[in-house]
Amino acid sequence: MGVSPMPGGPVLELRAVDKRFTGTYALKKVDLAFKEGEIHALVGENGAGKSTMIKILTGAYVRSGGTILWRGQEVALDTPQAALALGINAVHQEVVLCPHLRVAANMFLGDESTRTGLLRDRLMQRRAQTVLDELGFRIDAGMLLGDLTIGQQQLVATARAAMRGARFLIFDEPTAYLTREETDQLFRLIRRLHQDGVTIVYISHRLEEIFELAERVSVLRDGALVATRLVAETSTAELIRDMVARSLAEIHYKEEVPKRDLLLEVEGLSGPGFKDVSLTVHRGQVVGLYGLIGAGRSEFVQCLFGRTRRTAGKATLKGLPFHARTPAEAIALGVALVPESRRDQGLCLNLGVGFNLNLTIFHRLSRLGIVRRAAERAAAAERMSDMHIVAAGQGARAATLSGGNQQKIVIGKWLSHGADLYIFDEPTVGVDVGTKLEIYKIFARLLREGAGIILISSYLPEVQDLADELLVFNRGRLKSRHPARAVGPETVLKEAIGV
Amino acid sequence: MSESTATGALAGRKLKFGFLLNLTLLGLLVLLWVILGFATENFATYTNITNLLRQASLWAIIAIGQTFVIITAGIDLSVGAVVGLASTVVALLLVQGWPIWAACLVTLLMGVLIGVAHGFAIVQMRLPPFITTLATLTALRGIGLLMTSGQTIAGLPSSFSAFSRESFLAVPNLFWMVLLVAAPCYLLLHHSRLGRHLFAVGSNREAARLSGVSVGRTIYLAYIVSAGLAALAGILTASRIGIGVATTGEGWELQSVASSVIGGASLFGAVGSVIGPLLGAILLTTINNGANLLNVNPFWQRIITGGLIVIIVYFDQLRRRGR
Repeated sequence: MGVSPMPGGPVLELRAVDKRFTGTYALKKVDLAFKEGEIHALVGENGAGKSTMIKILTGAYVRSGGTILWRGQEVALDTPQAALALGINAVHQEVVLCPHLRVAANMFLGDESTRTGLLRDRLMQRRAQTVLDELGFRIDAGMLLGDLTIGQQQLVATARAAMRGARFLIFDEPTAYLTREETDQLFRLIRRLHQDGVTIVYISHRLEEIFELAERVSVLRDGALVATRLVAETSTAELIRDMVARSLAEIHYKEEVPKRDLLLEVEGLSGPGFKDVSLTVHRGQVVGLYGLIGAGRSEFVQCLFGRTRRTAGKATLKGLPFHARTPAEAIALGVALVPESRRDQGLCLNLGVGFNLNLTIFHRLSRLGIVRRAAERAAAAERMSDMHIVAAGQGARAATLSGGNQQKIVIGKWLSHGADLYIFDEPTVGVDVGTKLEIYKIFARLLREGAGIILISSYLPEVQDLADELLVFNRGRLKSRHPARAVGPETVLKEAIGV
Repeated sequence: MSESTATGALAGRKLKFGFLLNLTLLGLLVLLWVILGFATENFATYTNITNLLRQASLWAIIAIGQTFVIITAGIDLSVGAVVGLASTVVALLLVQGWPIWAACLVTLLMGVLIGVAHGFAIVQMRLPPFITTLATLTALRGIGLLMTSGQTIAGLPSSFSAFSRESFLAVPNLFWMVLLVAAPCYLLLHHSRLGRHLFAVGSNREAARLSGVSVGRTIYLAYIVSAGLAALAGILTASRIGIGVATTGEGWELQSVASSVIGGASLFGAVGSVIGPLLGAILLTTINNGANLLNVNPFWQRIITGGLIVIIVYFDQLRRRGR
């Protein structure tokens, strides 16, 4: 493990902590000590046990075994109230506040200041504003939370935790939706809290942030602690090795498939959120779209897919004019879209796995409008075994599956339906390494079968390794195009950021 | 879940669970009937049971339609008003000498058109279902009262009224109508492509749309079924009471929602069946009927019904969580 002693004793210590869910371990015998006043990063692939760890630390889950010590004393830490009473607080990736209330009201939520039973609105507003000003956020405490950007809301959530006197603060992927400027503001706040002696646990997929911020880093894999390292003495490569025990080259599986005839040609397409985009996709080719969140990539493909109206431009698919006004039209013409958010756009979460897989092909499974049960079961069973979907059965609700298996369903329904052009919008977000590899193998299979692929990804190594051509989006426009592997990542990043 | 392969693509657990729930509802119903049979002199008589079935039939028909809407995560508050308007319209047409089949057909068509209007407001105008149907609830009552100037329409042909009094194979005609409605609805909801789409839209509208489901058409379907069945219930009500009254069916929208929810439907959408609201409606009618026979103060009846709805649905929730 090679950790040298740090100033400050352990504030919170886990000893052989386990968490089991009906037989499977989400955490296995984790020994981990957080030191007073340190910034301690926690990394690991999805499903490695980070969320479980946070839930145990904040009292949302009760551990199945092991002990937890707070400043040397054994504590139960079995309710969220117990955690809050110790000063343990968490800021989540998804802001869990009320968008319809004002910023100040949110900051005081659950702890409102009253006089003779009435709210002291002006006092709360003033105090909230003071805290926000002190932290250097340019946020008006009188605004509705919902009117702020997600990033600003994140800052409000952090300010709220800080104001409540948190002594142990957990950040769960706080920067996932933040702009660079907002991220900087957040980092300033974290450093400030650090100076005040607050212990900070920082969880992020972005390893560069960990090197920028943290002192120590712990790596989880399959529910077990792999290593705790000093940030100054480790490297990205070492952390990735700890996390996946596999190299990126092995994961980013790519077969060389010859480029064939032209499949899609888009000329000067404009629509909500993007302008004047021209591109071509050939059969056997992966076209990667890279850019920052909000750069217009998702907007472009959704318009192509008929989800939004195009305002200008034209497209041809398989040599014929292509203009889908609804997703159903696009599908009928041979286009499939695996959307960005599988929970919001991809899955019927409270319905069965089989139902979700067959959703695109019920018309083929029915005769005179009546669904043939046997055909329905057979189709779902075949797809589940083809894609190695792990579920309690066809009837298991999609919500009960892991992220990786959920993503396989969203992709699987399109494999069942079939298409010429497959659009994948961030297909590997929140997906474990094993599933990533399987998804990339599906890409190869589709390409061999003569399909074309548009791949949107915000993870540059992924698009670079998998795409044949790399298109960079910036502020709604197509900025440049490169052969994917012949361009330096710095160039692409610069174009994407627009400096 | 060894039998998961044998339960179809609809959530197998849920289906199996739904089956259990219906069994328990059925059990509750049987229990109530046995208790009432022993506790009162008149419950277990042919007259009373057929009477109970007649009343339950009317509620069951609108509750089945309501369930279609609830599965899409919507609500149809107008069904009671549609019942009232339909009973008025069919009575007016009959009094004017229209043949029974034509009067019924026109009235049913009116129901379908009301469903289309709801679909238009919800899909094209993007109004919330609650508001849309609350508005029509109010307006349709007004239309009925305007058409009749608040008067009762009497003088319906005797053959029209006889239908609801008569029985076939010792089962009231009205209850046969329920079966006649339930069978195609069952096929539509549980065995057809459109039925699958209803569940998909109720579960996640956007995911359904991006999978090529015509969300708008599916929502139209649900509201047309609901209003159409409410119009049918209106015709049957006019036949049953032998007159057309614009205020018929007041409060039935809530009875239908209650029947649907007691029958296991979720107001959040994507959960529901045809047999559920049917049993729910019979259960609610039994509670009313039993309370009458036991001479319970009618004001108390309402309070008891309210309490029972809470208890039944609460146990349903417990069972869901505990599975």
